[in-house]
Amino acid sequence: MEGRLANSWRLTVNDKNFIKTALLSEIRIDGRKPFEFRKISIKFGREDGSSEVQLGQTRVMGMVTAQLVQPYRDRPKEGILSIFTEFSPMADPSFEPGRPGELAVELGRIVDRGLRESRAVDTESLCILAGKFVWAIRIDLHILDNGGNLVDAANIAALAALLTFRRPECSLGGEDGQEVIVHPPEIREPLPLTVHHLPIAISFGFFSNESILVIDPTHNEEAVMGGRMTTTVNANGDICAIQKSGGEGVPRRVIMQCLQLATSKAASITKQIKDAVEVFNTERALRKIKRHPTSTGDDVREKQN
Amino acid sequence: MEVDREDGRSQNQLRPLACSRNILHRAHGSASWSQGDTKVLAAVYGPKAGTKKNENPEKACIEVIWKPKTGQIGKPEKEYEMILKRTLESICILTVNPNTTTSIIVQVVNDDGALLPSAINAACMALVDAGIPMKHLAVAICCCVAKSGYVILDPTKLEEQKMKAFAYLVFPNSVRSVLPEGSLRVEGEPIENGIITSVTHGIMSVADYFYCLERGRAASVKLSDFLRRNLQQQSTDSSRAG
Repeated sequence: MEGRLANSWRLTVNDKNFIKTALLSEIRIDGRKPFEFRKISIKFGREDGSSEVQLGQTRVMGMVTAQLVQPYRDRPKEGILSIFTEFSPMADPSFEPGRPGELAVELGRIVDRGLRESRAVDTESLCILAGKFVWAIRIDLHILDNGGNLVDAANIAALAALLTFRRPECSLGGEDGQEVIVHPPEIREPLPLTVHHLPIAISFGFFSNESILVIDPTHNEEAVMGGRMTTTVNANGDICAIQKSGGEGVPRRVIMQCLQLATSKAASITKQIKDAVEVFNTERALRKIKRHPTSTGDDVREKQN
Repeated sequence: MEVDREDGRSQNQLRPLACSRNILHRAHGSASWSQGDTKVLAAVYGPKAGTKKNENPEKACIEVIWKPKTGQIGKPEKEYEMILKRTLESICILTVNPNTTTSIIVQVVNDDGALLPSAINAACMALVDAGIPMKHLAVAICCCVAKSGYVILDPTKLEEQKMKAFAYLVFPNSVRSVLPEGSLRVEGEPIENGIITSVTHGIMSVADYFYCLERGRAASVKLSDFLRRNLQQQSTDSSRAG
């Protein structure tokens, strides 16, 4: 629709020059220093496996669900992990509904590589009956607000949702032990997933003048920067994935600097995620204690937000 | 007749309501609405230039995109989109900005019963946040009819599944005006008695349906008061900040 194209957002030349000039004096337009991350806030929904992460103005929601399926033929003893990214049109007027564009596919692949190939989630524990029944874990990432650096926020949302997700407990039954009985959550407490380590994605932006480097670019900085690199590291100092697709070339020492920065940031973000999950788990345990329903108030009770 | 509901509410009691506006930064208007555990997020972009192919270019057009919590978009989502579109088209003033499209995106965060009414309420609040001109607000409520004939309001998902039939009803909000009593009536009845949308599932008798309408109308007055208080409070907050 040509009408839609007319509405696409473009940063003005003045804005671009302002951002670049400010960076020469190590000032970013939102007041941060070049190597400072925005404030991360991690919240959880009522159900297990639903998280909402806010990284500055970027907002991502993660949802984890599980289903019993047949395993892949070449991996009969492993569960399946799949990631679906939804670039919702509410995040940015340029996101169209329907098939994911290249940005969405790239984001999904980066998060997928960080989780699957680094073996962060233990897929062998998801196998119930080899060759017949395994759990297929599906992670849905909904981008709600595009304030820049969607990859990092989506990664944190995926990790937070995985850590709070519980799958139903099941046991083998039937005459020959070939049937799987799934126990409902009221009868047997559902089990958490085995997550060995948390791969955190940290994105960097490169600007053409004098190899300026920033961490966690905002939406405006993304429109100005010459290249980007996403490194997925964990708190142990292992590099799980590096993605630098195109953009301008950077010297080796800059890459090493990025990796060192990423490792130090990963430790603090990992701690933040684990603390938030702890709080959720305590609340969840408290909710399990049955209480009597509170006495009724008037017809419309309200909670001011 | 005393009815035992699982969470201890009475027949006509709604779940705790919570609404916040202006939560997203890129969207022109946004609102989050939660009724108990059902939570819906709505965002509005508009008006944008141009209308879709089959739409009338002499009027503004409304486009609704419904995003479920998980899974593919299928027929139920398309049905919700259509109901929302028609409801919102009837409350917006479409002649003010001809040949434009306003997009409303609804994201389901959690579904614990009465999903479509929550979505309609959220979409309406998001339109207010975006400043889209409207004739009046839409207030949506869900009423269930049980096998034994009693009617309960605002069911949870479990209650919805156990009931014989349920109806989603959308009314205009209650009017508080300085004009004399009789001038805002349409064909002798006050405006807020009109029904904008009614979607029913299951079988119910005509008498049950009219009883649902009555209960729904009474609840819509309470909901209108909540909306009015919420909108007035947030508008005074923003004027203090400015």
